[in-house]
Amino acid sequence: MRCIAAIRSLDYIARMKRLTGLLSLCLLLPAVRAASVVEEVNPQSGLSRWHTGDQDFSLELIQLVPDFVRAVFDSKGLPPQIIDAVSSYCVFGTIVRNRADVPLSYDIADWRYVTADGVAHTGKLKSEWVSEWRDMGVAFRWTLLPGAQTWQVGDWGQGFTTVDLPHGTAFDLHYSWTQDGIVHKDIIEGLRCAPAELEN
Amino acid sequence: MRLLNWKTSLLIAGLLWPGCPVFAADAVPELSYKLTRIEPPVAAPDFSLTDMDGATHRLSDYRGKVVLVNFWATWCPPCRKEMPSMERLYQRFRERPFMVLAINQWETVDHVFSYTGDLNVFPTFPILFDSESRVSADFGVRGLPTSFIVDAGGHIVYKAVGGREFDHPEVVQLIGELLP
Repeated sequence: MRCIAAIRSLDYIARMKRLTGLLSLCLLLPAVRAASVVEEVNPQSGLSRWHTGDQDFSLELIQLVPDFVRAVFDSKGLPPQIIDAVSSYCVFGTIVRNRADVPLSYDIADWRYVTADGVAHTGKLKSEWVSEWRDMGVAFRWTLLPGAQTWQVGDWGQGFTTVDLPHGTAFDLHYSWTQDGIVHKDIIEGLRCAPAELEN
Repeated sequence: MRLLNWKTSLLIAGLLWPGCPVFAADAVPELSYKLTRIEPPVAAPDFSLTDMDGATHRLSDYRGKVVLVNFWATWCPPCRKEMPSMERLYQRFRERPFMVLAINQWETVDHVFSYTGDLNVFPTFPILFDSESRVSADFGVRGLPTSFIVDAGGHIVYKAVGGREFDHPEVVQLIGELLP
């Protein structure tokens, strides 16, 4: 509305000269908001990664194809049941970082993966996977990102996050973190699970 | 068995061959250098682990020295990225009462030996093997890498979760001030 009012307030000549600029600005505004999350495509693999830039709580998500996940877990000598189970999930390489000058915390249990049908899915947490593995007699507890952590200044982490969605599924991630006792919420729109296979 | 296409094979080879972390290395953000002071300091859990030569190291053997205890694995990109800075720090304080103990998680001696051979900066400090992750559990480690600075009295005085540039001037100064 502000953009339209600004356009109407101009005289004809100025309107013609500046119309293009104002319209461009109006069209760019949503893009600027979206640009707080940057998507990059790996030219070799075609896989995407999204990162939120230099926010106090920075988040980066990298598509991981099932074969890649299988290979990672297979290299740890884990049993096929575990490898099959994890690789059947939508998996992201996830990097989270405290860029603030105060401690902050996150809890992935509060995050939601909202698909196009409006359904809010919860991720499967590291603690849930590790509990299953422990029941199978496997003590392995690495590679996955801890579900909840409080991080001091400069702390950061990298690991897999998982959600039970079909490969290739598009969704919006509603995520949050707590800083100075205040819960901050944000959304990354248009994320996609990695495809089941890379194209040749 | 299904054959992998060439892109997937390349991608997997890139991640799993430690000397050539094609995709994973791209994903590693810059290393931090802030360490968190532990107040009050807590007693570091003692441990007894073997190195690549089979020699046993106990943390309590290093009482009287400042020890950087680092939990890591070869498949962990930030662990790989921070290791050269650990070696530089170790060399810097080599003549002082300082030690670095890098405790590997869930990997074999052969695998780690092969990995270290590919490094540009070869680690000369002891690499210990916590093959069942018991020591990391005692230290409360939840993700890799995680590091602790243990003072000469055997107390944890600093902690760092995530990769660090250990030869950053602030870290060097901080450790220098701890040395007896």
